[in-house]
Amino acid sequence: MDFKIKRKSTKTAVVGGLLESYPHDLQLYKIPPIEDIALKEFETLALERLTLLRSLATATTLKGLRLYSEEWIEYVLSDLRTQGLKYYVKLCEKTDFSTKEADLQARRKDHIAHFILRLAYCRTEELRRWFVSREIELFRMRFMTMTSDAVDTFFRINNLCYTNISEEEKNEILINLRESTHHQNIDNMKFYKVKFYEVLDLVKTRKVYLKGGYAYVPHKDFISVLIAQYRIHLRQSLAIASHHLSEVEQDERLVSLLKGLHQTYTGNNYSDTKAAVPIETLDSLSSKSFPLCMRQLHEHLRTAHHLKHGGRLQYGLFLKGIGVTLEDSLRFWREEFTKIMDLDKFEKQYAYNVRYNYGKEGSKKNYSPFNCLKIISNTVGPGDCHGCPFKHSDANVLKNKMKGYGFELQAINDVVDLAKRGHYQIACSKYFDVVHNSSMGLGINHPNQYFEESQKLKGEVKIEPKTEAKQSIKPENNAVEDMEFDENF
Amino acid sequence: MAKQYDEGMLSDMLPIYYSRHFPQSLFCRWLSCGNYPQPLANRELSFTLADDVYLRYLSISNQKELQTLFQKKCPHKLDIGPVYNIKPSIGRHDAIVLARELVFDIDLTDYDEIRTCCQEANVCDKCWRFMVIACEVINTALKEDFGFQNILWVFSGRRGIHCWVSDHDARTLDSPGRTAVADYLCLITGGDNQNKKVNLVGDNLHSSIRRSINIIDKYFNIIVQEQEFFSTKEGLSKLLRVIPDETLRKQTEETLDKLAPSSLERWEAFIQIYNQFCKHNNVRKIKYLIEEIKIQYCYPRLDVHVTKGFNHLLKSPFSIHPKTGKVSVVFKPENINSMKLDSVPTIHTLLDDSAKENTQHEANMRTAIKSFQEVVFLLEKTEALRRKTETSISLDF
Ligand code: SF4
Ligand SMILES: [Zn+2]
Repeated sequence: MDFKIKRKSTKTAVVGGLLESYPHDLQLYKIPPIEDIALKEFETLALERLTLLRSLATATTLKGLRLYSEEWIEYVLSDLRTQGLKYYVKLCEKTDFSTKEADLQARRKDHIAHFILRLAYCRTEELRRWFVSREIELFRMRFMTMTSDAVDTFFRINNLCYTNISEEEKNEILINLRESTHHQNIDNMKFYKVKFYEVLDLVKTRKVYLKGGYAYVPHKDFISVLIAQYRIHLRQSLAIASHHLSEVEQDERLVSLLKGLHQTYTGNNYSDTKAAVPIETLDSLSSKSFPLCMRQLHEHLRTAHHLKHGGRLQYGLFLKGIGVTLEDSLRFWREEFTKIMDLDKFEKQYAYNVRYNYGKEGSKKNYSPFNCLKIISNTVGPGDCHGCPFKHSDANVLKNKMKGYGFELQAINDVVDLAKRGHYQIACSKYFDVVHNSSMGLGINHPNQYFEESQKLKGEVKIEPKTEAKQSIKPENNAVEDMEFDENF
Repeated sequence: MAKQYDEGMLSDMLPIYYSRHFPQSLFCRWLSCGNYPQPLANRELSFTLADDVYLRYLSISNQKELQTLFQKKCPHKLDIGPVYNIKPSIGRHDAIVLARELVFDIDLTDYDEIRTCCQEANVCDKCWRFMVIACEVINTALKEDFGFQNILWVFSGRRGIHCWVSDHDARTLDSPGRTAVADYLCLITGGDNQNKKVNLVGDNLHSSIRRSINIIDKYFNIIVQEQEFFSTKEGLSKLLRVIPDETLRKQTEETLDKLAPSSLERWEAFIQIYNQFCKHNNVRKIKYLIEEIKIQYCYPRLDVHVTKGFNHLLKSPFSIHPKTGKVSVVFKPENINSMKLDSVPTIHTLLDDSAKENTQHEANMRTAIKSFQEVVFLLEKTEALRRKTETSISLDF
């Protein structure tokens, strides 16, 4: 990456050059900026783009809006307006290819800012994932707001040419295309044939016809091909950027700026806690201070004396996060599990996992407890009782559960209603208020944050979290993938 | 009568089994092919020893080393991991995973909420039928939808089946790619708090779902009779809980409750009630209810974590299941229907000439090895072809 940072601003923008570099609102960010940038501008641009990415995240998680829905886009745009980021509003609202000076300047900022954040977000896998997800949301949103004219121009500028399949080929599989494409009236649509791994998002959701390893993608969905390529490009660029960090970071001030950037934002990841919570208090804590996802795991463990892998992971890491020591944790799981199995089996098959969560086995990483985003998007299968109850329960199961807790009917209906509409974290916040008889309306984004807020409210918290974590959205946690092995073969 | 299997004898039996019966050469050829362009030595093997000591990051460079390792360590459990950029024993935690067969794991314990004949570790030929459906559905999808050819099916040794796809595209598929394939194939989702675990949306059924339902239909009536899903009070209420429409649920309950406890009769009655109901009501929400129920009761229940993980260790073909003594035999998907659990070779029968089942088990072992051989040969052929076109393409530039 080829940034040169000047202490003093040297404004030498040439308009003719700009038009050549930035012919279109939407960019694929293939070439890094080469101009000199003043440190002040560098900082401003970085923070502004961070604000943009953050508002995308907020729209999905805290506001509970469906990704790319009209309300979602509306929220993002209005948030940008409130924050005074007019140039991003322009770039996102009516993406096109005008030649106006103001538009060119906006594109330049967009370009530079994207590359600055690459430097800030290439540092860990966790950060990279968060950044890639947001940038892709941004890209797709902008693509969606384009006119077909702008789309054509975009393809032309970027040399994206694909040939569609012939009428004959199409007619042969017409029935299948009709069945398996998620659009109406496909008869007049052009179809493109690409390898299935080029459109994973369509494959994943079964929205495309597959045959012999190829996906038949209608014109309308072509954005998926583009997104997939963009994702690969981003991931590779981040990997490269991380190797060149040391060259960029010759300047002390730059280092602290880049590092500080995500810290101002990510907050606590609850992987180190100094509090010590004795396991004898868990029963009472679970009803008073645990979010429902953890309460239900705790109750299941107490009654069934067993949890499946996903549940052990979700609950085990949470317990670590609230301050249950490794020794206590081992004792806790052992006491329950040995009610249905012998000690030997527990020690051989399950103790490893407990120690693993505490970074004492395997690759010895200090795993962080899962945040809501991760829990909500987790796969939950038969026999599992982990996940987020507001997402992973039938309405009447949820209702009965809360009835069993003795909540008032009105409150129950409010929570269930929010959950039904897909506002899981808001439902959780409502649940918090019901349990605490409060009206805090917290933004819940982490079960451990829920716990801390609850303890604070009860005046029982003694330790301050290491970094201030209020209202912060955190990047998705590292998936604890490498710890899984065939446990019940 | 065959001698009872005794886990304590394993340490004595295994060395003989590994040198006389385990298809070492084919095994190495299969793995090498799946490793290309990395050497065989970059593939991780893991052993679980007699005293439950767990050894990871082992590897071999040829059959001779495999034989030596077997004799030295005598693994009670043998698992296969991914291919790394370097020898796993050197790289250990820092080694980078480069490739890995695309794998599927289907286990009957995931059918516990459905099957009525057995629970947990137990299996019988009745619940084996779920595996027959699973194998056919997944195998067809892998071939027809994803275009894969090199597919190996293996009995897991106790109560399930594993599938290994060695096609180049499958082996090099990244983690999002695996997740997408797993999600494409997974129709049953939801935990203990969700009764209705299948939700089909849209105006049409996707071609692959329709095809799967056609496969299920071949077995549905038999399985309904064998399992008697709806004959008990509990079974019936399970069915009712899946019906989202209250009126329909009530109607169904009233009618079915009065019928004889034959599941098939009850099912047929339910279809009638449903059809009748659909004539008079707006049915958008329950448009695919029948299909959804069939899927919930019969569609393969994949352990998606195994498929999604890039570096999950999975039990090797032809290893011995320490609890049952059964060999993890390779089988042809078209033959799974006639596979009987009793005739799966066991280590103790193979090693005991005088056992009554010895001849039959030996014959079945030979068949399994032959099936394995066919897959390995095909894989070697496609790999050779692929490498040839690969080099000619790169020469063009
Ligand atoms: S919203 Fe978060 S904290 Fe609340 S129940 Fe769901 S996952 Fe748990
Ligand atoms: Zn059975």
